[in-house]
Amino acid sequence: MSATGTCEYQPKDYKSDLKPIWCPGCGDFSVVQGIYRALAAIGRPPHEIAFVSGIGCSSRIPGYTTAYGFNSVHGRALPIAQGIKLANPDLLVLAAGGDGDGFSIGGGHIAHLIRRNMDITYIVMDNQIYGLTKGQLSPTSQKGRTTCTSRYGSLEEPVNPLLYVLAYGAGFVAQASPTDLVGMAAVIEEAIRYPGFAFVNIQSPCVTYGEEEHQIKGLKAISESLAGLGHNPADRLAAMDLAQHYGHKMHLGVFYRNPEPPPTYGDLVKERQTLLSKDALPKERILDLFIKK
Amino acid sequence: MAIRGIDYANLSLKDALDLAILIEDEAQERYEEFATQMDQHRTPEAAKFFRYMVENEAKHGRELSARRVARFGDAPSAVSRTMIYDIEAPDYDAARAFMSARKAMEAALASEVKAHGFFVAALPAIKDAEVRALFEELREEEILHQTLVKAELAKLSPDSQLSDEDFVDEPAPQ
Repeated sequence: MSATGTCEYQPKDYKSDLKPIWCPGCGDFSVVQGIYRALAAIGRPPHEIAFVSGIGCSSRIPGYTTAYGFNSVHGRALPIAQGIKLANPDLLVLAAGGDGDGFSIGGGHIAHLIRRNMDITYIVMDNQIYGLTKGQLSPTSQKGRTTCTSRYGSLEEPVNPLLYVLAYGAGFVAQASPTDLVGMAAVIEEAIRYPGFAFVNIQSPCVTYGEEEHQIKGLKAISESLAGLGHNPADRLAAMDLAQHYGHKMHLGVFYRNPEPPPTYGDLVKERQTLLSKDALPKERILDLFIKK
Repeated sequence: MAIRGIDYANLSLKDALDLAILIEDEAQERYEEFATQMDQHRTPEAAKFFRYMVENEAKHGRELSARRVARFGDAPSAVSRTMIYDIEAPDYDAARAFMSARKAMEAALASEVKAHGFFVAALPAIKDAEVRALFEELREEEILHQTLVKAELAKLSPDSQLSDEDFVDEPAPQ
């Protein structure tokens, strides 16, 4: 992120008075703790942070923080976050939501934020199910999964969120899990500090509609640290290779961090504004632009 | 359970006391969260037990804080909450909607066993005699906490051995 503060903040400074109403045991309880810790490490005051979400269990998360929050429209967290960032580039802008919000109804937006390199951190709480609406098949549900909308098992291959964002050229891609809160907080912090679009996929189990192997104990069994594997996060092709294991293994840590981050969309807009400002008309003459001479 | 950035070999008594206070604070907050969750899911027996644990953790935290102030006043601390996770606090996934008082107590007991394990594992790396004595005391304290929870478990009626699944419907898809 563009700037960090100097004042020391504690995780509790980012915790709102609103009590989470997730199901007891939900992975999102750990995720919000990870976000508090990451924000404390960044040190920006809550009023300098905008947190936007879509719709879903996980999209309640901005309300549990003291940042400015917008629990918006299903699948539209990213366009709204983008508008906020363009209108006020100094804000630290976070977006969050579930896998359905991000990769189904909102799936079309991610590609455009990536190609523009918007300086936004997008946190997806991936639970492979639509939990809030009571257990329908989601875009990341495994093939063969039986739900109320796939009585005889899903016929569809799941979306691979990691490969999806890597293929579009995201500059920062990571995965985390409530099985390792310290690692999750570190990854979120690193994502926020990355100057450009950063994506963090968090495998956050749904205790009510999720499958047994996707609960914390099951996730622990298939977890592997990318750092422990000796993965070089500057190697995009290696990251894509590892990302193909999504759904079978759970690699935790940074898949890819562009070692030479390109300018953000905000940087380019500012540059263009500076370039054109010398010929800009005063406000009262702005309509002259539309009058044929 | 995770810990980061703590060098046991060079841990001072002041920082060891602060670490112990942070561990109690975390556990207290987690039990408060669990009690709220149980209230929201209309499970008052489990909520009541979790509040009992809040009081226990708070009491121990206050005792440690008093010792810290008496010995070191308000000298700045070198340890912070971001260095620890789930040492004595029950794991978030230990809670379940509609959990019985028995399940709540079992979750707390598992956490006390986990905390005891933390102090046992840390002790061999500690060099300072006073810090070692404190960690040994805290290790024994966790055994005492286990005894308290076991006493609460013993007070439950045999009916409480029913599983949550015996009287809660499966989630209904719509």
